[in-house]
Amino acid sequence: MNVTTRLTPGTRRAETMPLGMTPLAVVALGLLILPLVGLLANTPWTRLGDLVTDQTVLAALRLSLLTSLSALALATVLGVPLAWLLARRDFPAKPLVRALCVLPMVLPPVVGGVALLLAFGRRGLIGQPLHELAGITLPFSPAGVVLAETFVAMPFLVVTVEAGLRAMDRRYEDVAATLGAGRWLAFRRVTLPLLAPSLGAGMALCWARALGEFGATITFAGNLTGRTQTMPLAVYLQLERDLDSAILLSLILLAVSVVVLITLRGRYLDTS
Amino acid sequence: MSGLSARVAVTLGDLDLDVALEVAAGEVVAVLGPNGAGKTTLLRTLAGLVPLRAGRVELESQVLDDSERGIRVAPERRGVGMVFQDHLLFPHLSAADNVAFGLRAGGVPAAAARGLATEWLARVGLPDAANAKPRALSGGQAQRVALARALAFEPNLLLLDEPLSALDVAARLTIRRELRGHLDAFAGPCLVITHDPVEAIALAGRLVIIEAGRIVQDATINEVTQRPRSRWVAGLVGLNLYRGEARGHTVNLPDDQRLIAADAADGPVFTVVHPRAVALYRGRPDGSPRNVWAGVVRGLDVHGDHVRVHIDGALPIVAEVTPAAVAALDLGVGGDVHVSVKASEVSLYPV
Repeated sequence: MNVTTRLTPGTRRAETMPLGMTPLAVVALGLLILPLVGLLANTPWTRLGDLVTDQTVLAALRLSLLTSLSALALATVLGVPLAWLLARRDFPAKPLVRALCVLPMVLPPVVGGVALLLAFGRRGLIGQPLHELAGITLPFSPAGVVLAETFVAMPFLVVTVEAGLRAMDRRYEDVAATLGAGRWLAFRRVTLPLLAPSLGAGMALCWARALGEFGATITFAGNLTGRTQTMPLAVYLQLERDLDSAILLSLILLAVSVVVLITLRGRYLDTS
Repeated sequence: MSGLSARVAVTLGDLDLDVALEVAAGEVVAVLGPNGAGKTTLLRTLAGLVPLRAGRVELESQVLDDSERGIRVAPERRGVGMVFQDHLLFPHLSAADNVAFGLRAGGVPAAAARGLATEWLARVGLPDAANAKPRALSGGQAQRVALARALAFEPNLLLLDEPLSALDVAARLTIRRELRGHLDAFAGPCLVITHDPVEAIALAGRLVIIEAGRIVQDATINEVTQRPRSRWVAGLVGLNLYRGEARGHTVNLPDDQRLIAADAADGPVFTVVHPRAVALYRGRPDGSPRNVWAGVVRGLDVHGDHVRVHIDGALPIVAEVTPAAVAALDLGVGGDVHVSVKASEVSLYPV
């Protein structure tokens, strides 16, 4: 195995690896790929047709689509203005505010769920007046699922869109202004279209994260079939009851992840 | 007054800009100056994109800025057409939609705006480019579209920030000629930033020279090329310029240097020596020249049929000689040389 140390013409020194790195890299590859192989190898391909009509599977699928798309919509409507604020405005303690905004990306989702309960739960900071004055109860409801998913997924959209806004040549907005476009028109016809790639990437990441949300959802919204039991929750539950339908749900989630990754190929798959 | 009347004071980072200028309707003024002098900031301020610290801008009897009265008209309400450096066409819109943008923003219905945009594209020589996206256009075509976009909504003031700098030499000549035609047809005042004195002469009737945020000269092209008022302008138009104190025929320069002039003056003066009037010798020359000093050749630039020789010495100077003279004198970088200038070639004018 002296291949790794030999320098061929045109090969930069930095590209050669110290001896022993290659086997470790192979182990890493196995670690990442073998679970997927296991999933595909155990898939009951012939039974998939029957499983799709299974009540638990269907309910979870329907609820997951509904809540994750609602969370995506909410995160987009709220997250784009937040990204704009972070990218374009200066205000006191901005680094701290930005840190708080991205915190849910690294926070254990269970902790997020607990925090949501303490804020929006029936005895929570906001949840109690909300329940007593308006009769709105968020925990253990589909709306609670949306809230949990938005909490966990919105930072991905905010971070991506903020980076896109920062990278944008602001002189395009100046051009629009000199041509007589007010702020809203300039935002709609210039900023937003130029931001489209970042916004698309941010939305894809956000949706994928919302769809896969488990910890915060089960903590804040519980695990009620047809009401709060999303696909990841159903997978976990069905592991005990019906392995095949758990595998099917996992396959669907895997397929979604692959589609999202293909959507983002310009960002994560281009190595050149 | 009709036209533009502006006094603009802006602080932006290290730049302290404080200038006043008037541009009549139909007049084209070229703005020249070194990088960082504040040219672009001046244009952006007039367009309303940069707030002024103090001053007043009036266009066609409408006040756009007045720091004392707290007036600041938003950029979208100024009616100022601006062509930015690197054209900045909206990449997601077709050429026609780019040109129609200002019309649409001004409330012109889509079909009418499209029709006018197509007319404008034809006027700038691109009748077939309506549906082309900016990335499919050449630099020259993009610049034409940008000009059409700035003119199509009939602005009251036209601002061009180095409109030709992004073009290759061949395209530049063509577009410059066309641009001249469009500027002649434009009824309002127009300001053009340029780095290139030839471009300034081709496009404008008057030059405003800005250095370090101040106007150092605001004059006709003849005046600037014959009587530059700063070393930067002198270098730009290829002249040697010294500032000194005249006493009769003698001009006292810094570092105890002096030049003898045929004309007499008293007080602070600019002294100009044309490079063609500078004679070079290997040894100390005999005869009548009143100004003779020794120097060292620092560099040689070939410009077509002549060579500009940069000479360091008691009085640094640029001489313009023929390639034959360079060969005959065996001039090389680092070589010793004697410089002589006749008194009649030293011209003086007051500071």
